[in-house]
Amino acid sequence: MSLKIDHERCTECRMCYIVCRELDINAVYVALEPLHRIEIDIDACTYPGCTACLMYCPAEGSIVEAATGRSMVPPPPEAWQTGE
Amino acid sequence: MAELPGKALARELIDESEAESRKTPMQDVIAAVRQRGLDKDTANRLIGRLWTLERMFYYIYGGWGQGLEMNDFPPSVKYLFARQIVDDSTHEMLYMDALLRQGCVKTQKEAFRHPYGKFAVDSATAYYVFSLRNLATYSHPVRIAALNLGPKIIEFAWMEGLAEAIADPDLKQAFASQTVENKSHINMGRRIVEEFIQKPVEMELCRWACRSARQDYRRFLHETSDFALQRQTPPPPVARVRVTD
Repeated sequence: MSLKIDHERCTECRMCYIVCRELDINAVYVALEPLHRIEIDIDACTYPGCTACLMYCPAEGSIVEAATGRSMVPPPPEAWQTGE
Repeated sequence: MAELPGKALARELIDESEAESRKTPMQDVIAAVRQRGLDKDTANRLIGRLWTLERMFYYIYGGWGQGLEMNDFPPSVKYLFARQIVDDSTHEMLYMDALLRQGCVKTQKEAFRHPYGKFAVDSATAYYVFSLRNLATYSHPVRIAALNLGPKIIEFAWMEGLAEAIADPDLKQAFASQTVENKSHINMGRRIVEEFIQKPVEMELCRWACRSARQDYRRFLHETSDFALQRQTPPPPVARVRVTD
């Protein structure tokens, strides 16, 4: 299971980046293209072990489960149980 | 449309900075990368120093932001400044990501303590940072003229050359992807100077601030290129700058 950013909804506030760096997971990064959008490195992301970015994201639906497209913001009930 | 009052001045500052941008200490780094490629340690040294400067822009812009008051400029000027703060924070993040990706540091916290990314008060980096921060007491168009029509133009040129010289696709993109934002900062600086610098005294202040910023940035580039290439060179001759305040 992995997460990805829905760029139609993301406001690029970068809270997810800050939280991810703070936890030393470093899965959220700035894409190396001129728009510099935020992306999630699925190899580094520890979801569902960590759900911190979901807890801080202010934009509904901007982080989704990559496989299903299910919105994870606001975090569904199970995210509160599995997260750090 | 009426002729904008600061148009000639903006052109003058751009021309001076473009002339200087053709020969900076970064040319040695670019030449070395072209010749030998960019080994990991050199890349980490270079990006470590660039990251150190870039993160200090939070401190510089914090000071500048305090100088902005309600209704002193149209909202567009403040929007553009906010945009520049976001862009420079993005560039800080790009360098941080590069340090992590290159394996120079394992965590962001480690980067602050690492000798390549540590902020030293007795350095050319600090000199440049404090010099920019001190522009907080000047009007916004003066400090934007100093930075956006000075060091930003020089940075634009060497960064383009460096990106072109680097073979590693990720590192190349870390620099190349900043082009659009840097160009927009230069254009923003041009527009603000053209529109808001009207009096002769303001024009003279802009010239002085831009010259000072370029000189201090040159010192930073000198220190950075020496650090990246692991060489000791004498400091550059310091031009006398007339203080008009």
